[in-house]
Amino acid sequence: MKHQFKIQNVKFKLQTEVRKMQVTAALILTFAFCIMQFAFVGTAQAMLTAKANHDHITIDFFYHGSTVSVRGISDPGVDLVVKITSPEGHQVLKQKGKVAGVLWMNVGQLKFEQTPNFYEVFSTKKVEDILSREEMEKHVIGYPALAKHVDITPVANEEEKAKWFGEFVKFKEESKVYTTSSGKIATALNAEGKQDYYILTEWPYQAQPGDYLVSVYAVKDNKVIEQAQAKVNVEQIGMVKTLATMAKNSPAIYGFLSIGVALGAGVGVSMVFKKGGGSH
Amino acid sequence: MYLYLPVALTSINILIPVGLGLAVGLLSGLFGVGGGFLLTPLLIMFGIPSTVAAATDSNQIVAASTSGTYAHWKVGNVDFKMGLYLLLGGFIGGIVGVQAIKLLHAMGNADFVIKITYILMLGIVGVYMFIESLQSMRKKKDGAVEVAKEEKESAMGRFLKSLPLQTRFEKSGITHSVFVPIVLGGFVGILAAIMGVGGGFLMVPIMVYMLRMPMHVVVGTSLFQILFTCIEVTFLQAYTNHSVDFLLAVLLLVGSTVGAQVGAVFGRKLKAEQLKILLAAIVLVVTVKIVFEVTLTPSLLLSQVGGH
Repeated sequence: MKHQFKIQNVKFKLQTEVRKMQVTAALILTFAFCIMQFAFVGTAQAMLTAKANHDHITIDFFYHGSTVSVRGISDPGVDLVVKITSPEGHQVLKQKGKVAGVLWMNVGQLKFEQTPNFYEVFSTKKVEDILSREEMEKHVIGYPALAKHVDITPVANEEEKAKWFGEFVKFKEESKVYTTSSGKIATALNAEGKQDYYILTEWPYQAQPGDYLVSVYAVKDNKVIEQAQAKVNVEQIGMVKTLATMAKNSPAIYGFLSIGVALGAGVGVSMVFKKGGGSH
Repeated sequence: MYLYLPVALTSINILIPVGLGLAVGLLSGLFGVGGGFLLTPLLIMFGIPSTVAAATDSNQIVAASTSGTYAHWKVGNVDFKMGLYLLLGGFIGGIVGVQAIKLLHAMGNADFVIKITYILMLGIVGVYMFIESLQSMRKKKDGAVEVAKEEKESAMGRFLKSLPLQTRFEKSGITHSVFVPIVLGGFVGILAAIMGVGGGFLMVPIMVYMLRMPMHVVVGTSLFQILFTCIEVTFLQAYTNHSVDFLLAVLLLVGSTVGAQVGAVFGRKLKAEQLKILLAAIVLVVTVKIVFEVTLTPSLLLSQVGGH
């Protein structure tokens, strides 16, 4: 009896150990699976890359704009959106309106809050066709999304806000600092079965010095599935920087210098004309 | 060739400011006007921010008026005494005008008053100068004697003669009370401050028709007065608004200083009536342009803060 009990006890311990091992194995497998899942997702997130070829644009006397190209790799078959923006801020603009029903005058000022001074969006297809409205608004992609994101004061209602946002975009597009277009991004499958993408954009000289953010979005099933970023810095250098800094930081000296040069030039040219006999 | 402008933060083909400077300098040397009412809108049209355009324009006028004043002074066409009295009046008027514009801004109808003042002043001056010069050109041709006008002038003359502190302005060959140029200079100063312009196109007709100065002395004296006004404006703009673009001013003055010399030479070959009618025509063209601007629907309903 005693012997039988011992055998049963050993059997039970053995079963318990086996169960423990099974549970541990299951846990390990689950953990491994999770790790693999995570690794897989991680690989997907790291798949989209973005690099701006010309990330430091310098402004000297002969600067007349530049070009910026953005290239990278994405999963095959996804659509892409490239958005280049300056940091958001507030802008105040004069507002024209009709006075006495006939005369166009400046009738006040409008304040545009949470607006970038520079906003460019390029996409493989029309953003409205590849992204849901919610996703466009979430990532502020496209003018309708930007319109929702921006605060305009003072406006009476949504209709008036839409009208002045339209005018704002027109004003910015005229200044070459706002644009949206589709079909400019070139894509091709590489040897590894991934998608290479490339876009070359004109960088307008009207874009002010500062930091710009290049955001690339991979889009599938009306959703942004991946995101990558790069930076572009625009900086004044040499005499351009010296003069701009002087105008801001030493305005009195700058003012005297401007007047002195103008007086000198006026007298100088007069002397040349006198010598040349031009004034008589 | 393009150059980048450090304060305007834009790039421009150098032929544009040099060419514009040359054209405006030519007008300056010919008529004694600064040309701001022409140059500032043109610079804005070529993509220069309005605040920078107005401030830099003042800076280049310093050069053009120095060049023009020098050219006119060399041939004895600057009445320094008259210029100083007008300058004194203009300075006082400028202070009054700046306060008036502050008041208008507070009342919320500044832009309306500015635009209407602009159109009325340009229109009245242009039409009056044009008709008067045309009549005197015709009468000279016909050899007619202006009897009625002589009588009107003597009535006006009697009133002016009755004012105290009469003084002789040798260069212009006229006698006036010192209050006359000070008050008239003050009037132009007020309007110039309200309209944001140098005031040359108002000062010239006032010197011709109210002070009865000879046209060629008017041009030189006006430039002398404009020179000091624009030195003050340039400094204030650079100091308070940081809006003077030194490089743009240099490009403009390369053209305007030469233009002013050519204008001064060319002006001496024209008769006074011809000069007046040409200036009147330019003033009228600008008036018509502004009338179109305020009546036609603008392509953009938003603009930068700082300009007109």
